[in-house]
Amino acid sequence: MASVARAFRPIASRAFAQKPVAPISAVAPAFRFPRGTRSFSQSPLAQVKKYTESHEWIELDGNKAKIGITKYAANSLGDVVFVELPEVGLEVSAGEPVGAVESVKSASDVLSPVAGTVISGNAVLEDNAKTINASAEGEGWIAEIEVSDVAEVEALLDEAAYLETVEEH
Amino acid sequence: MLQRCLLSTRCSSTRQWIRHNSSFPVHRFAEFARRPASKHQIYQSLSTDPYVNLSIEHFLLENAPDDSSILFLYINKPCVVVGRNQNPWLETALHTLYNDRRENTPANDSAVFVRRRSGGGAVFHDEGNLNYSVISPRTTFTRNKHAEMVVSALHRVGAINTSVNDRHDIVMTPSDVTQADRNEPPFRKVSGSAFKLTRHRALHHGTCLLDSPNIHDLGRFLRSPARGMIKARGVDSVRSPVGNVSSALADSFFSMQAVMDNVVEEFARLYNVNADAVRRARRAHAVEPEIFAGDNWVSGTVGDIHGDEEPAIAKGIAELRSLDWKYTQTPQFTFSTYPIEEDPRERPPLPASLSASTRAFLRLKHGAVIESNISISSDASIASLQASRVHELLNGQKLHEMTVERWADILQQGLSATNGVDESSIRALAKYLADMLGGH
Repeated sequence: MASVARAFRPIASRAFAQKPVAPISAVAPAFRFPRGTRSFSQSPLAQVKKYTESHEWIELDGNKAKIGITKYAANSLGDVVFVELPEVGLEVSAGEPVGAVESVKSASDVLSPVAGTVISGNAVLEDNAKTINASAEGEGWIAEIEVSDVAEVEALLDEAAYLETVEEH
Repeated sequence: MLQRCLLSTRCSSTRQWIRHNSSFPVHRFAEFARRPASKHQIYQSLSTDPYVNLSIEHFLLENAPDDSSILFLYINKPCVVVGRNQNPWLETALHTLYNDRRENTPANDSAVFVRRRSGGGAVFHDEGNLNYSVISPRTTFTRNKHAEMVVSALHRVGAINTSVNDRHDIVMTPSDVTQADRNEPPFRKVSGSAFKLTRHRALHHGTCLLDSPNIHDLGRFLRSPARGMIKARGVDSVRSPVGNVSSALADSFFSMQAVMDNVVEEFARLYNVNADAVRRARRAHAVEPEIFAGDNWVSGTVGDIHGDEEPAIAKGIAELRSLDWKYTQTPQFTFSTYPIEEDPRERPPLPASLSASTRAFLRLKHGAVIESNISISSDASIASLQASRVHELLNGQKLHEMTVERWADILQQGLSATNGVDESSIRALAKYLADMLGGH
């Protein structure tokens, strides 16, 4: 695992460096955060996307959010062969499964970082599970949910904090 | 037993309850398994029920402390176990297994069908197959670690021709004598692995064919009659020639218990387990569940009683036994007697009892029909009418609930309204579909 983390770091720092030039459409949702629940001392763009210790990411767009597994997780799991998508309408609490991924004989649950209701599963993964390996934090998103309380997203790890948890291993 | 209960209850607030020469009452298994100090845990199961053993294992995965390392050994009665994302109609020969799809099927000796929670492919278990399971922290886990541990144990009983391959399976190279035989494959698989990963934990469980009496006949349970007609999403099994570890050893030296003892030894070596825990774990003569514990370890035997007594285990058993988990958890698939775009393979000929114009196509999601095309007329417009009438009745039906009688009913209603359909061709088609899809 440590070697994976080392290999991954340069990519991660590159992604981090690119954040400020993210598409302008990502700016709008950040302004819908309830007032006073967060500090804007840094660029809000970098904080739209959050992470969990169990290697999920969540990207907020208004009160909707896409959820997936991190590049680090996809790397350490190896070739993804099947993705179990959640049913539309499924209500989940934070930490409850919102799907599952199978790779190299391993089943792993994908846990929802926050409470919400499933709007859709990513149908692309039904026919091409390996999209997760190719683009874990982009095309390979797993579920889209309507978030019950956007403030709950705030409590999650930002990218730098997540990468620290990964490096500890 | 009563006296022991009283004694241990009275003393439980102090460290005096750690006794080295007598066991704790079995109902304390769950408590010790959950205890934060129980860093090393070693159990053997006296149950041969795969639902019970898999649920005890799942209980340990979910409830033991995050930093603990656990070895669990069990032997199941004959069963076919498929991976979490597999298809029973494709991966098993349902007609050779106990029919759990019909209510009130009398209990018999047939192998049972099980879907496990971990990934991977379909395997067969019986009384000659040892299941080993290691649950450990996810951070230090690697996929080969525990297969290597079992290989070391096999080497210690003399099976020095075993090794781990790149699929994390244990294979055996045949002896010089059999290698001269050209039909002998270069490797025989003796053990298959599967994994389940949670937030903090990694479960690795594997089979190990030590001395299976069914070794030459395993394929019978794993070869579906419909495999030429089903195309499934999810995970395909990789078929391998299999062998018994015992075949590489002189008969007089082989015992299942000797292998189990050596696996315990190797586990203890890998995780620096207290010698008392190992001594207690190696109780070959145990016939009743019993639990021993020390400062940072638990070991002993578990059994059916824990399925009855611990609610979390009972819940796991009910889930695994449910037809919803076994059948409707199946990823989307098609069954078609003729080539279709997504499955253009040439099809095997239909049985002589069916007319050549018979066509049957089903698309299933969550094990239920969402699309179908079943007709027997050679006239295209009549066939299309038949197909739409049958689909009206078939849509939404769960495949595991489709008995031969139900097929006959639906086909009767759907097909008989059109001209030229006789009773016997309806019965023949119903029988054919039931034979292919476990409707016996």
